[in-house]
Parts: sequence; C-alpha cells; structure tokens
Amino acid sequence: MIGVCSPKLAGLRCETLSVPRQITSLQLWEEIVKIHPRLAVIRDQVVFAVQQEYVLLGDQLLVLQPGDEVAIIPPISGG
Amino acid sequence: MDESEDVPKDFIELKSEKLSVDEVSELVISPCCGAVSLFIGTTRNNFEEKKVIHLEYEAYVSMAETEIKKICRDVRQKWPSVKHIAVHHRLGVVPVTEASVIIAISSPHRAESLEAVMYCINTLKASVPIWKKEIYEGEYSWKENKECFWTNSEK
Repeated sequence: MIGVCSPKLAGLRCETLSVPRQITSLQLWEEIVKIHPRLAVIRDQVVFAVQQEYVLLGDQLLVLQPGDEVAIIPPISGG
Repeated sequence: MDESEDVPKDFIELKSEKLSVDEVSELVISPCCGAVSLFIGTTRNNFEEKKVIHLEYEAYVSMAETEIKKICRDVRQKWPSVKHIAVHHRLGVVPVTEASVIIAISSPHRAESLEAVMYCINTLKASVPIWKKEIYEGEYSWKENKECFWTNSEK
C-alpha cells in the first residue's frame, strides 16, 4: 500500500493504493487513472514525486516500499 | 560577533504571514560580506486585461523545502563565496502588491550575490512544487510557470 496525493487543483487530495512493489511510472499512472478516470486529461502535464523525488511518467522502474508517498505534481507556479 | 560562528547558513521558510524584507535581509547580513542582493516577487493587479483580486498559493510543503535546499546547495557550488541564503515564500492568500517571495543572498563582493539571486528565483520557478491561483472577479485560474521543467514551453 502506498499513499497517493495531489494538490487541490488536481482534485485528489490523499488516498492509499495497492500496487505491485515494482512498477513503471507509466503503469502506476494507469493504476491511478483506473480509479480516477477524470485525471486522464492531465496526463501530459503532470509528473510524479516519489518520496519527494521527481519522476517523469514513462518507463522508469519504481521500487516501492509500503507506506511510500507518491504525489501527482501539476505544472508549478511558485515565485 | 564571534566570527567562528558565522558559518554559511540557509534560511528557508514557507509561511502564511506577511513577508518582511527587513527580516529576510537581516538574516543574511555578515561581517565578511560587502553585498546583500535581494529579489522580491510581488502580486500584480492584472493578467491579460483581467483584474486580479488576490493570489492564493498552495505548496507540497516538505518537498518544496527540500527542493529549495537543493537550490541553495547548487548556488554554493556555482558561487562558492556566497555566505548566507534566505528564501521566504508566502502561502495562502497574498493581496495585490504584497510580496509572495523574498530571496536574499550575501557575498563578499556584489557579482556573486546578484547572479546567485537570479539563479535562485529562476530555478525556484522551474522546480519547486508551489502552485499559484489567480482570483479575478467571478473566476479564478491556476497558473503555470513557463519555466516549469517538465511542460512544453511552446504552449
């Protein structure tokens, strides 16, 4: 079980998700979209932060531990 | 001041209270430094002819602090003479003309702190997970920095 969070603008907040321990970042996105299909429209604009490190959506293999936090990061606008 | 205690420091704060230019610049003052350079980001009252009422900022706070610390580390690698770095960013509601971000950097001579401040704000806009919502009359818009490192800049 991992935690998946997003800021208010992506509409998700935080919830837990059960995923295989080894999964590509794209496969993880697809698991999330199965539960929240309306997120599909922002797929090209977002990246993940896995344990607070940026990960692009793609073939990168993630090795996840129970309790790891994955955040969906929409385009930023700080400063 | 005991000079052995004047080790280089990073002062990073994300908070909802009004930011203070005096407070941030005083954090970085050092007896060995002849320069303190400052950047203040303030809230504009307009965007594409729409009147901006105020801004609201949200952050993935723990990661934003980590990313700002990485920027400070990069600044010190690029400009080793930089002494202290302070980055204060406001969260929540920021009224028009008030500061949303203040960056202050000290160095013995001015070139390094001036360049480092520019690098700091540019990199913050590209990589720190903070989001800004502009509130207009009757509508709002979540903004996207053109510097954001993973989006197509030709949008």
